[in-house]
Amino acid sequence: MKPYFLFPYWCHYLGWGLVLLHIPVTMFGKAHGMINIIDNGPASSGLFNGEHLFFICTSLLMVSGLFLVAFAKEKVEDEQIWQIRLDSLRWAIYLNYLILIISLVFIEDTGHILELNLWVPLVFFVIRFRWVIFRLNRSLSRES
Amino acid sequence: MKNNIRVERAIKNITQGELAEQIGVSRQTINAIESNKYVPSTILALKIAGVFGKQLEHIFTLEEGD
Repeated sequence: MKPYFLFPYWCHYLGWGLVLLHIPVTMFGKAHGMINIIDNGPASSGLFNGEHLFFICTSLLMVSGLFLVAFAKEKVEDEQIWQIRLDSLRWAIYLNYLILIISLVFIEDTGHILELNLWVPLVFFVIRFRWVIFRLNRSLSRES
Repeated sequence: MKNNIRVERAIKNITQGELAEQIGVSRQTINAIESNKYVPSTILALKIAGVFGKQLEHIFTLEEGD
């Protein structure tokens, strides 16, 4: 098999760690008014204001985490895994564009539509990919 | 595409895991090929035939509609 670039296997754990870390950071930030604290600084308006910086931090944590989970190698990375990976990616893109088109037509808030676009393909890819692997493992354990 | 990997494995007396290890794939892949859920690439098919020391056509056969 051709050596395509994927992250090492341990990146799964790092990825899930970042995704999980994103949840308390977001909750803590919002609950303790972190946005307001940062906003009191010199750059309280414009591109890098408190809200924007907070959004960058939390989104980076989540997206980089999901990215690592999605594109880390499996324990045995063979051609079937590769095919499942490509197939899941195809379905993720289909769903993403379907949601994007429906949202563009029916929702006015375009900012949030693009935000949705940030994580829908990765989340759906991970769910679909894991589900197919789970089904493969289940059929293997049934037979043995 | 049909295959008789299961029969050939029984003749050679090797498990799915051992066959998988010899050709560098996962056990799930061998199981999927045996159950006709996955059609292997030419490279993988040749590797499998090589393990059993048989011609490719002896292991894999086309079905109607292929």
